[in-house]
Amino acid sequence: MSDDVHALIGAWVLDAVEDDERRLIEAHVAQCESCSREADELREAVARLSDTLVTEPPPGLRERVLAEARRTPQEPAPARRPRPARRPSRWRHPRLRLAVGAAAFAVVAAFAGVFATWQVMRGPAEDESQMTAVLEAADADVAFQQAEGGGRVTIVYSADLDRAVVVVSDLAAIGDDRSYQVWLVDAAGQVSAGVMDAGDSSATMVVDGVGDTEVIGLTSEPAGGSDQPTTPMIADVALPA
Amino acid sequence: MVDTVSAESLLLRAGHGEDEAFSGLYDLMSPRVYGICLRVLRDRAQAEEVAQEVLIEVWRTAARFDERRGTALAWIATIAHRRAVDRVRASQAAGDRERRAAAESADVPADPVADAAAQRIEHRQVRRCLKALTELQHRAVTLAYYGGYTYQQVAALLDAAVPTVKTRIRDGLVKLRDCLEASR
Repeated sequence: MSDDVHALIGAWVLDAVEDDERRLIEAHVAQCESCSREADELREAVARLSDTLVTEPPPGLRERVLAEARRTPQEPAPARRPRPARRPSRWRHPRLRLAVGAAAFAVVAAFAGVFATWQVMRGPAEDESQMTAVLEAADADVAFQQAEGGGRVTIVYSADLDRAVVVVSDLAAIGDDRSYQVWLVDAAGQVSAGVMDAGDSSATMVVDGVGDTEVIGLTSEPAGGSDQPTTPMIADVALPA
Repeated sequence: MVDTVSAESLLLRAGHGEDEAFSGLYDLMSPRVYGICLRVLRDRAQAEEVAQEVLIEVWRTAARFDERRGTALAWIATIAHRRAVDRVRASQAAGDRERRAAAESADVPADPVADAAAQRIEHRQVRRCLKALTELQHRAVTLAYYGGYTYQQVAALLDAAVPTVKTRIRDGLVKLRDCLEASR
């Protein structure tokens, strides 16, 4: 499946895909740093195809565009590279070592407080075994943070598995036109780790390929998510070192 | 040739709300934006309308531009192409013969900006690099970019298998990228 999606990167940067495929690829690229780099490079080449098209626009266009721009408010800059230092030491149990098996689930459930309403964001069966593997990993650590506006984000992370379980619970209620989105933040910026269903304020997800991620962040975005955060982080949980 | 360094700084300044920087950016980039719209839409009135939408989107979202991820030229050309393609798909039935016939040439239809020497060199680079592609790669990439077709439509137009076209497009773009980078 992901091979199929990956093969579409070329067609995608040429805008030669249907809308539903576009959404699939964008979700894939948002979670794949190397794909995102490849797409950026190909986009530079594609843009050069317009070298031969340069054409003097009609004379009236300049004045109309500049006048409309003066009346048009700009979107604020997206949050980039939010710093974990922004809200230091909100950890309650920064290096809690997990017990294994059922006990680990219980620990996470206690932190998250929503065990019964966990929603698995991807393939349920696969996710469940991946989740168990993280919770049972010998090096698993737990971190959590209260989110601004209410609710909390709990993370169980295994460096050995390069994988994290992110539990988001009881965030501030949002309308159906908004989605909470999870971000992996490192020194180079952030990539999307997943978008919650529109209007939902609790979810659980497994994040693969955590890599050099320093912080797992959370923002509220237009329904369906954004390429980059468009609002400030409401939580920024530093991964246990 | 667009001076990409100043295009980036103009775009970044426009992102901080500087009208003057946006005027400068208009002068640098509007011929490219309009040219892309005209090429894909093949209609002057529609091209002008979409070009205006594109340039306003550039102004509105300028703060999103991240220079670590690419050039201002690519950022703006991407918005222009995407908007033009959205419009052509909304307004035209797929398979328009006239559009198809014109789609495969990299030549601009009419009144290009007076060719500066640097610009002619760039044209030559792009044409030369397009020629380095295999015939199927070349036709698939140009139909998609200049014609605004999806890869499924391209496959139908070229009477080729859909997975083959998907692969050729990607291979073609990788080759194009390598060729353009090598000729910098």
